[in-house]
Amino acid sequence: MKRTLKKAAMTAALAVLVGAAPVQAQKEPIKFGLLQDFTAVYTFVTSGYNQGQRDYLTLVNEMGGIDGHPIEVTVVDTGNQPQRGIEAYNRVRRDGAILVDFLSTPVANAMVNRVLEDEVVMLTVMHGRGDASDGETFPFVFPLMAHYWSQAALLVEYIDLYEGGIEGKKIAHVHIDSPFGREPIPVLQELAKQKGFTLRTFPYASPGNEQSATWTEVRRFRPDHVFIWGAGGGQAVSVREAIRNGISPDKILSVVWLAESDMHNVGADIAKGVKRFEATVTGTDTPILQEIMEKVVKAGKSAGDAKEVGNTYYNIGVASMAITVEGARLALKEFGAPLTGDKLRRGIEMIKDFDAQGLIPPVSYSSKDHQGGGFGRVSQWNGKSWEPVSDWHNAYQDLVWEKIRQEAAEFKKGR
Amino acid sequence: MAYFLELLVNGALTGLMYSLVALGIVLIYKSSGVPNLAQGAMVMLGAYAVWLMASWDVPIYLAVVLGAILMFAFGLLAERLLLRKMVGQPIIMIVMLTLGLEIFLRGFAPGFLGAAPKQIDLGLGLAPIILGDVFINRAYLVGGVIALLLIAASLLFFRTHIGTKLRAVSDDHVSSWSVGISVERAIGISWGLAGLTAVAAGVLWGSVQGVDWTLSALLFPAVAVVILGGLDSILGVFLAGLIVGILGSVVPGYLDQLAGGGTRDVVTSLIILLTIMFRPHGMFGREDIERV
Repeated sequence: MKRTLKKAAMTAALAVLVGAAPVQAQKEPIKFGLLQDFTAVYTFVTSGYNQGQRDYLTLVNEMGGIDGHPIEVTVVDTGNQPQRGIEAYNRVRRDGAILVDFLSTPVANAMVNRVLEDEVVMLTVMHGRGDASDGETFPFVFPLMAHYWSQAALLVEYIDLYEGGIEGKKIAHVHIDSPFGREPIPVLQELAKQKGFTLRTFPYASPGNEQSATWTEVRRFRPDHVFIWGAGGGQAVSVREAIRNGISPDKILSVVWLAESDMHNVGADIAKGVKRFEATVTGTDTPILQEIMEKVVKAGKSAGDAKEVGNTYYNIGVASMAITVEGARLALKEFGAPLTGDKLRRGIEMIKDFDAQGLIPPVSYSSKDHQGGGFGRVSQWNGKSWEPVSDWHNAYQDLVWEKIRQEAAEFKKGR
Repeated sequence: MAYFLELLVNGALTGLMYSLVALGIVLIYKSSGVPNLAQGAMVMLGAYAVWLMASWDVPIYLAVVLGAILMFAFGLLAERLLLRKMVGQPIIMIVMLTLGLEIFLRGFAPGFLGAAPKQIDLGLGLAPIILGDVFINRAYLVGGVIALLLIAASLLFFRTHIGTKLRAVSDDHVSSWSVGISVERAIGISWGLAGLTAVAAGVLWGSVQGVDWTLSALLFPAVAVVILGGLDSILGVFLAGLIVGILGSVVPGYLDQLAGGGTRDVVTSLIILLTIMFRPHGMFGREDIERV
């Protein structure tokens, strides 16, 4: 009885979320283009992320769509190539898509001017330009969650608050030698000045399958904490090399791109203690994930392997669509159908304190802030799963926004 | 000094593991004259095959043996279905074919078997071997030893009856045919052997970094090794592997901090460029003089 009531409560909550009773949607469809890299650089994240996005949208459609409008999704592999991204974009744009998500920094960066001109919403969750958080300069680009500058700032604050202070400590930033790996360095350098810690950066060659020389150098630096800033297989190599060089796992802190599969690659027990920035809750305990399990996965409608459900990248994908659908719901309520890119943009900007029923920290957007406040938390690998070791919070946003505005101003100059 | 020594030793061991990838390229070139640009993807495929069997609870070392058999068969099949059809075609088209195979495999394996990095656990542990102030990477040490063994085995193989036939084929296809050697079979065997070395490289590199598409990126340092050592020289693979590995470790160890990173790829690229400019056949490669 208790379980039935709980299920009914969750169903009702989701029905409120999507603004409809569980009936078959019949109104004009809303079209999204998930034009992502399934075969090149971002393969480590795309399958889980994309599956999460599609499963959530399937759930919404199962519940009657957004105010009766079903969501139609086009999925295309861009292979991380801007020219293929442009082709795919042209196709979905012609078919009426009002939102695109490339999940690829090179493709997203190549498309910025185009989506601004076409007034198509582009999601850049955990990728793309950091300065796209500035909604006034990039009205149609939405990072939606804490970008790399916010993540680096939060990790510094975590050490300051939870690890006995950061003043006088030595921090090694070990990163893939790419714009992504170098991106947080200016923020970290500024924080090093302000908070009085020593920062040293250690690049390794892409894709990071061989890092031994880098870690020999890191060991000799004798850092108190190590930030690892890479993605995919390179992250497991970083953790392994750190441990091999005598760095305790609990002194390793990672950018968001460190998932369950990486920990199993290192060895689930060996990696116990490693920490990372976390943008969403992992696991399937939250109401939305429960609904997905019930109505999508068990019904055989999941877009991928059921084992992926609840994993880090899957949940980030779910969260990205939960925020988008909430924006679409607000837009339809405020401006009516048909939904356009501009209406969707304004809908997302109307979102206030939305936490997707506990899946993400409460986020608010505005015409100025497309990052949603830069919230996150630190979680720690316990040998089986990620356990939160801090509350949801944001950090040093004044400094982060100084950087965002500075870069956005440069972009404006160049347009 | 300890810092330099550690860079030197770990660089040398890494270089030997690059040699393992490069060995497959040399084995094929030595018998067929084809520079196989799909060797990186074959390494990836070999690692995927072993991981797949290990995920079915096949003991890891048995999975390696089965993977080796599978990849040997894959090599034979690649020769039979692809290479044999290219007989008489310009070499550039055959090279393009291997490039096409590389791209196909790089999409195919992660597409069907999952793109997220997967684990191969050889039970080596993470603890380094510590000699004084020098930490030696245990996985690279094992990899280096296996690379040495396979290089030695390859050298010996070319002294056997079949190996002699392969050498004859590499010298001249028409003459080999005329004395009754099956050129197709010889080339097939060389592709099969390249499949075997791909499994060794894939498992060792996969145990270090996980199994995903990035294993195919090992083609780049392997190409530097074969160009420097000579496309048809097994001894060259050994020495060039050491040089590429050591330079790729020592130079970034000192210069990355000054240059802000990225020097390892520069070193590898320079090795390729300078060798092609000043000694196109590499340190130990055979210099063929052709009338043009």
